[in-house]
Amino acid sequence: MTTQEITATSDIEIAEASRTNLWRDAVARLAANRLAVVAILPIVLLFFIAAFGPYLTPYDFLAQDFTARLASPSSEHWLGTDELGRDVFSRILYGARTAVSVGLVSTAISLIVGLVMGSLAGYLGGRVDMLVVWLTDVTRSMPALLLAIVINLTLKVPLEAWMEQMYLATKNTFFRQTMWVDLVLVFGALALIQWPGYARLIRGQILSIRSRNYVLAARALGMPTGRILTRYVIPNAMGPLIVAVSAGMGGAMVLESAFSFLGVGVQLPIPSWGKMISDGLRMWQTHPYLLVGPAVMMAVITVSFAWLGDGLNDALNPRQWGG
Amino acid sequence: MSVLLDVQELQTRFRVRKGHVYAVNGVSFQLEEGETLAVVGESGCGKSVTMLSLVRLLPPAASIENGQVLLRGEDLLQIDQRQLRDVRGGQIGMIFQDPMTSLNPFINIGTQMAEPLIYHRGMSKKDALDRSAELLEMVGIPDGKARLREYPHQFSGGMRQRVMIAMSMSCEPAVLIADEPTTALDVTIQAQIVELVKELRDRSGVAVIWITHDLSVVAGIADRVIVMYAGYIVEEAPVDALFEDPRHPYTVGLMGALPSLGGETGTRLTTIGGSPPDLVDLPDFCPFHPRCPYAIDRCRTENPMLEPVAEASDRGHNAACWVDIRDVKVQTETDTAIAGG
Repeated sequence: MTTQEITATSDIEIAEASRTNLWRDAVARLAANRLAVVAILPIVLLFFIAAFGPYLTPYDFLAQDFTARLASPSSEHWLGTDELGRDVFSRILYGARTAVSVGLVSTAISLIVGLVMGSLAGYLGGRVDMLVVWLTDVTRSMPALLLAIVINLTLKVPLEAWMEQMYLATKNTFFRQTMWVDLVLVFGALALIQWPGYARLIRGQILSIRSRNYVLAARALGMPTGRILTRYVIPNAMGPLIVAVSAGMGGAMVLESAFSFLGVGVQLPIPSWGKMISDGLRMWQTHPYLLVGPAVMMAVITVSFAWLGDGLNDALNPRQWGG
Repeated sequence: MSVLLDVQELQTRFRVRKGHVYAVNGVSFQLEEGETLAVVGESGCGKSVTMLSLVRLLPPAASIENGQVLLRGEDLLQIDQRQLRDVRGGQIGMIFQDPMTSLNPFINIGTQMAEPLIYHRGMSKKDALDRSAELLEMVGIPDGKARLREYPHQFSGGMRQRVMIAMSMSCEPAVLIADEPTTALDVTIQAQIVELVKELRDRSGVAVIWITHDLSVVAGIADRVIVMYAGYIVEEAPVDALFEDPRHPYTVGLMGALPSLGGETGTRLTTIGGSPPDLVDLPDFCPFHPRCPYAIDRCRTENPMLEPVAEASDRGHNAACWVDIRDVKVQTETDTAIAGG
């Protein structure tokens, strides 16, 4: 009896869901996926901390307390202090800002580049396609970390010199903040590493969608190419792309940490989880909390993005919807 | 009546790994103002490729090698992309075989219908939506205004085809090309769609090119018929002449394959054995001869041209065959009876 009632209700729900549009269907499906819903919480929290972290932290991320160097976790310093006496909890909160900005900006850049390159390659085909595929092959043939190191080593010095010149020429103090150089290099390197993935995904999607009947019908109605791309092709290619972006955000944060860990990422004094893990590793036997805090944070966020991506995949991929 | 569309010696081929496949081989035909022309033939005969060639909507592997497509004297094969876009949808509307996949699933019906009106007619979004609602009611979808906000998946196949027809007719084109618009629909819906197109044609005076392999539809809607085989026009005739007096063995075969309500029960439908050839070279033989019960030696060495038939009952009856099939009696039963309208 109870089962029958449940089936009846779910049938009605399905019938009602089918009266709404595809995006609303997808949201309903996502909400029904427990792992994805659980994963949304840390991600929302991460963005919140990134936005308001500096107002929440008990200490400034640079504030040093020399009387309490390498202090163990206490009510004063929840996660202890590092060797310079800086509050680890505060630095983790600040680190969220680095992680989020790296994730957002590098994903945005690589997404835009990948979207443009992939769309053109897929829709125009021919030589453009060959050129784009060749470029992605060349980029992907280089190991990501090696590429980042090469970029850092070759571009950092000239870029800093250029900043210095700009400062002398304009006297604008903006050009004195060398931390921008680091950020630009990290964003650039991440975007360079990540765009081929997006470009290939988009290209494949567009190759498949380009031959769909509604594109032919739109062409037969005289719609211009740009309009067909933006209104017919790209929206229909979005599903897999959203999944890739979700996974890519987590990936970018991990990559940035890896860069920082190897010393080619965001430089001191900006807190970065990767850098904190790297520093903490040296003393993990005596002061494990220096390592545990940022590492747990990193793990939780990465897993959350993976779960969310998985949930989005199930929600947006019609082949996963089942009978 | 004056000639609206004049196609001359159209030749389209596909690039494949080993050379080319000749899909359309020197097709010439004319379409007059307000006329309905049916193009028949089995799958792979070049019907669709011919029509896609007219507005240059071919896939990248295909290229138009030769010919002219004169729409009111202007050669569509020579104009630039921008002018071509004005022709597509503006002067030549098209509807396709599979209505289930011919609408963009991400855009609601109203926005989708409004696009060509905004683009070709320069209407404001609001006017275009009002007009779209009228068009929906015109193609028999009641409560058009409310349905504009719905999405394609909320429409059945028959209704989607109605929407496609409304869209292709929205800018009042001079020619409507219907590429097997009823093939994917079930029989009762097919009849409704045929009636709808007839009604719209009679009201607007649009000239229609109706591609089909269903001869019973042809009898009900067409003024004139072109029979295509292997990229050639093998017979061309006014609709009555074609049904009463078919002169090409392929046409005869097609009619033999048609079930008849008036015929004797218990008789078997005849079929045409084999399938049309993929031409990797322009043939120096009749492409139909391997399947033709009337074939003579000449058919194996020379490809017949489309020529007026002997003792035609009507003007403009042409066929491409070396044999006058009226003189020959063959074993296979070629029942030429047709199903009613």
